[in-house]
Amino acid sequence: MTKLLEVEGLSKNFGGLQVSSDISMTLNAGDRCALIGPNGAGKTTFVNLVTGVIPPSAGTIRLDGQDITKLPAAERVRLGLIRSFQVARLFKSMTVREHLELAVLQRGRRTFRLFANVAKVAGLADEVAGLLDTMGLSQVAHTAVGSLAYGQQRLLEIALALAMKPKVLILDEPAAGVPHSESQRILDAIDRLPRELAVLMIEHDMDLVFRFARTIVVLAQGRLLCSGTAREIVADPRVREVYLGSRADAH
Amino acid sequence: MTSVAERPDPMTDPMSRHTPPAARRDLGWIGIPLVAAVGLAAYWLLPDDLALLTRIAASALFVLSLDLVLGYGGIATLGQAAMFGTGAYAAGIVAVNWNSDPFVMLAAGGLAGGLVALVTGALILHARGLTLLMLTIAVGQIVQEVANKARDWTGGSDGLSGIDPAPVLGLFRFDMFGRTSYLFALAVLVAGLMVARRIVRSPFGLACRGVREDPLRISAIGGSPKSYLVALYGVAGVFAGVAGALTAVTSGIVGLDSAGFPWSAEALVMLVLGGTGRLYGAVIGTAAFMGIHHVLAASDPFHWMGFIGLFLIGIVLFLPGGIASGFERLGALLRGKENRA
Repeated sequence: MTKLLEVEGLSKNFGGLQVSSDISMTLNAGDRCALIGPNGAGKTTFVNLVTGVIPPSAGTIRLDGQDITKLPAAERVRLGLIRSFQVARLFKSMTVREHLELAVLQRGRRTFRLFANVAKVAGLADEVAGLLDTMGLSQVAHTAVGSLAYGQQRLLEIALALAMKPKVLILDEPAAGVPHSESQRILDAIDRLPRELAVLMIEHDMDLVFRFARTIVVLAQGRLLCSGTAREIVADPRVREVYLGSRADAH
Repeated sequence: MTSVAERPDPMTDPMSRHTPPAARRDLGWIGIPLVAAVGLAAYWLLPDDLALLTRIAASALFVLSLDLVLGYGGIATLGQAAMFGTGAYAAGIVAVNWNSDPFVMLAAGGLAGGLVALVTGALILHARGLTLLMLTIAVGQIVQEVANKARDWTGGSDGLSGIDPAPVLGLFRFDMFGRTSYLFALAVLVAGLMVARRIVRSPFGLACRGVREDPLRISAIGGSPKSYLVALYGVAGVFAGVAGALTAVTSGIVGLDSAGFPWSAEALVMLVLGGTGRLYGAVIGTAAFMGIHHVLAASDPFHWMGFIGLFLIGIVLFLPGGIASGFERLGALLRGKENRA
């Protein structure tokens, strides 16, 4: 199996505070992995380290065999390491269609064409139509994102990530803010992602995690607690203690 | 997802039935022919005011350059006159010393304005908001001071005079009634609008709108916000430079005030008055501001600025999107009636 993302000994300290220590994990082509952990476990820090938002204190990150530890965030995106955002971060006044056009044009580095007509760029309309169709957004293609339902905005986030032809896709709480009863539609969309893609989902909702993930990685206090199949994780007493236990305390 | 299913069908939902924003924003294709038609009508209806109309046309091109920067890139600037002044001086210097063909002058102005914008843009566009505003003002002051000190080339505080443009295409002389001047300025403005419309509808224009809305999100899809902004600033610098050159061609004189802070600020007022992010809002705002100025300054030379102020407050309070947004609401109202009929 192709190793798409290899993280080795990734650590980050802010002064004396160690927020991530010695995290190692691998994502293969076709993986559907969930990253879980109680609040403050360092999940967001981990995503920010991997995507290049903040530089790590130690460790290496390889994408499809290439060392990307020192590359800036935008360069990692160009190489196929794509994330979606926990809070939908979209261009409010632009339409759904314009979002996807922009992402596809950016991927092909065709955004410095000053005198081309977006409507006439070769192959663009077909690709955008395909993406709209995959995510079930065709009906709202011409709607400004600001007036979309939140669930549709989340679908657009995924469509936008998909438009960039990712190798590794990191979904940061893709169903956050969507009522529980509707999260199935988000999961259906995730199911339709290309099979060879490696997907890492950061999620609080254990129900979603078990429906999505074939493997689970558990973070606690900035460390990798354990990883394995969903069945193994449920059975692991350490997970019960750290994850479920702390949840019980919170209530 | 139930709420999505419960939501009214987007095709019939009145909230989302409106035309795509991109088409709404530049009024489709009718905006530019309308400017040309109104401009030509004014030529016959107001033959005694051609000097004013010429100033409006050239200024509108300048305000258009500001709309590209502010309306499409979200760059807050009070130094757009730096490019206007540079273009005006470049065109004047070329005309006085080498070649006074009006098209050569426009090209010189556009080139100079674009270069200054690219160089200064690369230096200052990492900043945002208030810091950027200060830096753009500083660039304007520097350009003005350079023009002031380089007396041998620019005439310093006396201004650069003796610009005598050759006939347009070797056929149409610049007559003393200003007919050629006005038609030439109108033609350049319409051409400028067409080019600007092309640019804002290009992949580049789309990317710039994305930067205006959320630069970090642009990075997250693999783009570099700053390079878009610098390129946009350069493009707008070309427009401002051509506008400056157009003023040099039609007025025959270039003064230090063409690069001054008040001119930058006035352009901003005109743009806000007309409406940002629409292109034709720049034309409406310039015509409204300078037209009102002309009428009021003639009837009440002491208080006209106060009336302009009141007018601006009224627009901002009742039509926050500028005069152009009022037209759009009117248009939407009429379309709504048609649809119901």
